[in-house]
Amino acid sequence: MPRKNPTTGPDGLTRRGFLTSMGTGAIGVAASADLFAAGKEAVDPQVMPAGRTSKVVLRINGETHVVLAEPRWTLLYVLREVIGLTGAKPGCERGECGACTVLIDGVARYACLTLAAEAQGSEVTTLEGLMDGETLGPVQTAFAEADAFQCGYCTPGQIMAVEGLLRTNPNPSAEEIRRGASGNLCRCGAYKHIFEAAHRAAELKRGK
Amino acid sequence: MFPDFDYVRPQSLQAAITHLADEAAVVHAGGTDLLGCLREHIFAVKKVVSISAVKELHGIDEAADGALRIGALTTIRTVAEHPLVRRRFSGLAQSASEVASPQLRNQGTIGGNICQKPRCWYYRGDFNCLRKGGGTCFAVDGENQFHCIFGGGGTCFIVHPSDIAPCLVALNATARVAGPSGVREVPLEKFFMRPEVDVQHETVLEPREIVTQILVPPPAAGTRSAYRKVRARRSWDFALAGVALALRFDGRRVVEGRVVLSGAAPVPWRSAEVEQTIRGKELDSDVIAAAAKAAVAEAEPLGKNGYKIPLFQGVIEEELARMSASA
Amino acid sequence: MADESKDIYFVQGIPVPDTPLPGKEPEAWQETNVVGKRLPRVDAYERVSGSAVYPSDVHLPNMLHGAILRCPHPHARVRNVDTSAASRMPGVRAVIRGTTPEADLVWKKDAAGEMRLFDPHCRFEGEEVAAVAAETPYQARDAINAIRVDYEVLPFVADERRALQAGSPPVHSKGNLSKSDTYERGDVTRGFAAAEVVLEESYRTECELHTPLEPHGCVASWEGRSLTVWESTQGVYAVQSRVAEVLKLPLARVRVIGHYMGGGFGSKLEAGKYTVIAALLARQSARPVKLLLTREETYLAVGNRPPCNMTLKAGVKRDGTLTALEFTCLATGGASPAGGTSLVDWLIRDLYTCPNVRTTLTDVFTNAGPARAFRAPGHPQGAWALEQMMDALAEAVGMDPVRLRLKNMAAFSQAREGNPAYTSTGFRKCLEQGAAAFGWEKARRETGAQAARGHMRRGVGMAGCLWVAGGGRPPSTVIVKLFSDGSVNLNMGASDLGTGTKTVMAMVVAEELGIKPEAIQIENADTGTTQYATPSGGSKTVPTEAPAVRNAAVQVKQKLMEMAAAALKTDVSELAYQGREIVSRRDASKRIAVKDLDALKRQGVVVGVGYRGPNPKNKVVNPFGAQFCEVEVNTKTGELKILRFVAAHDSGRVMNRLTYDNQVFGGITMGIGLAMTEARILDAGQTGKMVNRNWHDYKLPTALDVPADITSLPIGPADAEANNTGAKGLGEPVTIPTAAAVANAVCHATGLRITQTPINPLQLVQRLAERRKEG
Repeated sequence: MPRKNPTTGPDGLTRRGFLTSMGTGAIGVAASADLFAAGKEAVDPQVMPAGRTSKVVLRINGETHVVLAEPRWTLLYVLREVIGLTGAKPGCERGECGACTVLIDGVARYACLTLAAEAQGSEVTTLEGLMDGETLGPVQTAFAEADAFQCGYCTPGQIMAVEGLLRTNPNPSAEEIRRGASGNLCRCGAYKHIFEAAHRAAELKRGK
Repeated sequence: MFPDFDYVRPQSLQAAITHLADEAAVVHAGGTDLLGCLREHIFAVKKVVSISAVKELHGIDEAADGALRIGALTTIRTVAEHPLVRRRFSGLAQSASEVASPQLRNQGTIGGNICQKPRCWYYRGDFNCLRKGGGTCFAVDGENQFHCIFGGGGTCFIVHPSDIAPCLVALNATARVAGPSGVREVPLEKFFMRPEVDVQHETVLEPREIVTQILVPPPAAGTRSAYRKVRARRSWDFALAGVALALRFDGRRVVEGRVVLSGAAPVPWRSAEVEQTIRGKELDSDVIAAAAKAAVAEAEPLGKNGYKIPLFQGVIEEELARMSASA
Repeated sequence: MADESKDIYFVQGIPVPDTPLPGKEPEAWQETNVVGKRLPRVDAYERVSGSAVYPSDVHLPNMLHGAILRCPHPHARVRNVDTSAASRMPGVRAVIRGTTPEADLVWKKDAAGEMRLFDPHCRFEGEEVAAVAAETPYQARDAINAIRVDYEVLPFVADERRALQAGSPPVHSKGNLSKSDTYERGDVTRGFAAAEVVLEESYRTECELHTPLEPHGCVASWEGRSLTVWESTQGVYAVQSRVAEVLKLPLARVRVIGHYMGGGFGSKLEAGKYTVIAALLARQSARPVKLLLTREETYLAVGNRPPCNMTLKAGVKRDGTLTALEFTCLATGGASPAGGTSLVDWLIRDLYTCPNVRTTLTDVFTNAGPARAFRAPGHPQGAWALEQMMDALAEAVGMDPVRLRLKNMAAFSQAREGNPAYTSTGFRKCLEQGAAAFGWEKARRETGAQAARGHMRRGVGMAGCLWVAGGGRPPSTVIVKLFSDGSVNLNMGASDLGTGTKTVMAMVVAEELGIKPEAIQIENADTGTTQYATPSGGSKTVPTEAPAVRNAAVQVKQKLMEMAAAALKTDVSELAYQGREIVSRRDASKRIAVKDLDALKRQGVVVGVGYRGPNPKNKVVNPFGAQFCEVEVNTKTGELKILRFVAAHDSGRVMNRLTYDNQVFGGITMGIGLAMTEARILDAGQTGKMVNRNWHDYKLPTALDVPADITSLPIGPADAEANNTGAKGLGEPVTIPTAAAVANAVCHATGLRITQTPINPLQLVQRLAERRKEG
């Protein structure tokens, strides 16, 4: 079972988030660029040909997965159907519902609008990656306690959105929570409990 | 589901431009808009050239003359949250923070945002419309409640979907563009293609050109900028009507100002009428009312978007009043 | 673990309800120890850890992915389907179409005639034309795109308001009138004559789409002649019967499993064509097939809340007494007889006392996707008209809107034959206590046009409701199995849609047996292993299943007591079940722990079987409610913001306060969608195609569109007559009055009566501008 995201520092900030939020003004601070730069000076990669699978190396929940994927396969498809991590859910596959939300380099993104090939060189964290063995992470615990879902299908995405929010904003205001959750639809309408869960998760993460 | 395509992620701009020479090759920045278009099969794509690994396209900094330089791959969230932007170009930060949803702001880039395809549901949907090379604009007689009231030119009635672009036009920004024949700079005001000029393109970019950087000149003393957006729901929605303002004040008097509308026209729509009405004036209620009225005087609504006339008036009135109150 | 692990399943020291003697019904609960508490769900861990397996997540060895080709025209005849290129595409393993012998099946017969699985006469955009299965969903879609279809494109009618006009193309050969109903009591002409104020208004609610987060779909797998389907459904037995019928299979050879499902709201009460198509593709390929609809397909072909065009004429005396209501509704269930006008008039007929009522419903065919039940079918539409009219009447006679409603309380069901009484009605209390909790009178005074400040206006509004059903009914069979260590297995056929069914049922068992809810393992929603249940929907799941669960648990207690009587050599009537122990009432030294019962150890388990008993005779079980809200309108831009809601609902006993509140919030959220953001848009004047088949263009409320300030106020007491748990349904009533309450609040804030959904800036700014023009 994957453990904690190794790029996450003790303060919950990712390296990328830290640098950009400091506004250093430097160009080229993105983690992906760093990783590409490491020991691979400007050797342009091969074209992944259409209609065939090619080797794709993904870092997911702190582990390296080498998979065969077509260029057009999304990260969501590879996570679910190739690797078997079904936490992230397909809801629209058009970047409109958020059920597929994962963290990429510490920030929430839609896995359905991310090509698997494009996720290479980044740290991907899925719902499964928030677990510590069989123990729920703080956001998951808060969602369970606050009954922050009904059918539960949007829930993995909601949890990841809140996780992403809290990693850069550990003490969000009520309005920041609402904005942070506003990229995830919940047709059952559990928003109010989601807000409460996010608030509680922030407390749990702060050790309260 | 996406069609089949080759994929490559070169690490240099030069290599990317080279790859773009291939048939039906397209640029992938954040990918949020491109992948949506691929799903809808809006245009043929045989090769996706991702520029996300091109280092020099990332990041924000300040030039020696005080201009803001924003790498084209800077995420919209970074634009919204960056201290430099917030401090000196609050309208730009505001507009970025109103884009789509948190996840899309985390992924979408400023370069991609200004190059995005229209959201017209006929264009995005299963309709062979004018912009896709067909013979009809379905919006003329159809469901045109989200379409333009300016600049349709009798051809295509999309609205430009970007919130950021109107602010960049208001701030007199420039896009730096790289292509096979080198680098050029295009003022944002001249960056967008009006449909009567070329109905199948939204920008003046040549086929193999890539936006590399946005340059925002240092604002003159007394300049304040703002962006206000009205939408049908409060997240993940494009503007029904919006206004980007960059006004230079001398005390309470507007010395000059640039006023650009979103949700109004196929391109970010600079309202010369508003600008003229407020130039040299204090923004009292008469001036504001006159400006709002002037803004829509030349509007040509379609069958179902007449509401945009009072809406733009309301938005402009509200936003000018807010600016005036803080002057 | 320590030794007390053997006792972990029993809760120490809490009383359990009395156990009736065999053959006797259990008495109504008094104080409860588990039921009614705020309990997180028994499957919360699974749902937040990602380990809950939804049908979308099922992944079988060698599984293929299916896809469906749908008719792109609102009305067309299929002349020819050429699948030759598609079947040669990479990865394609099965291709079927109407002329494929094993796919040449009758899907259903109804009043409009026979419909085939791949019907050559396509009457709406999205009808199924062909299907494929391939190694990846990408390849399946490539193959779909390679199928060439020759369509004869036919004229269409997409706007129900034109369906009956002369010259409109017929959707079915018998014409476009699907159904016409009239209801009448008293004499409306006399009623209007007796009125001192008569108002008349037209209303319209737009078509809404369910769009649950998990798309419709299934995984189908054959083992010899037996079919197993993992389906995202509200009712596994309903899916089983339809699939067996269409495929001409014995019921026993169709197993449908739906442990988890990602939302339905009425759109997943039955099998879809996709279920049968997946089974056929699996059979042809001899491989399991996963077939999930795309989001766009879910907009076209799996149901909607019909658009309703209504008129309401109402007469009232100056003292607020209603004298007559006359209502018409023209609506469409789309291209099939699908209940386009179903129950739209129910509130007009039954919510308020009114001696003279006439309703006329006209359900027409259009070339659009068929309707399906959508959370409280008909009711939110009817409430939109009736509850706005009540406000208008109140204003006309100078009464407070709450008082006008209180003036017309109904003591019995006027619309039903014989005017049966309600087992309970808390409507008055919902209005009074809801108004008090909201601070209605003060808020009414301090907001509204008279309190205008600048261009931002505030207003408050309210609306009431009942739900026509919500009492549940037989049949239901439930098995509760207690193991020799005291842990329990609960076996029931019902699906948990996310309403918390499993949790509520575990709480019922826990209440009766004195064990911890988490010690109860639940098997549900599997036709192969669980008992018969009707689909979960209509706010009937708790009042249907919970009594059966209670009966099953009681039977377990009875059997344990018989074992204890034998062990203690005493009469069972002398004993009391106290959870972990069974004790003599007369002699406290006579006691035996359940786990120590030799008979239990020998037998291994005790099985209790519970059935849902009949409902009370000549009585009606309905939930009631009233909602209050405050809004803010930007009169320059037409932007509407909902600031707060109070929802007072009489649904009998609260089974779990946490999931109860969640239902209330969810119903309000969905009602806000109807009020403010949602509308299907057909390109009716040109192509007839739906232009907003996605979650951007069809707008569900987001986290920023609903207020964080929502108060749920349950109105008691438990309904002692309804059933042995005292619970009535909750899921539907909580969404019925919401939209009308919002419209009333907007009217209070602006003076504008908005009679057409959605109240978005498009409409509101226009109306505000028109009024300014009128001066």
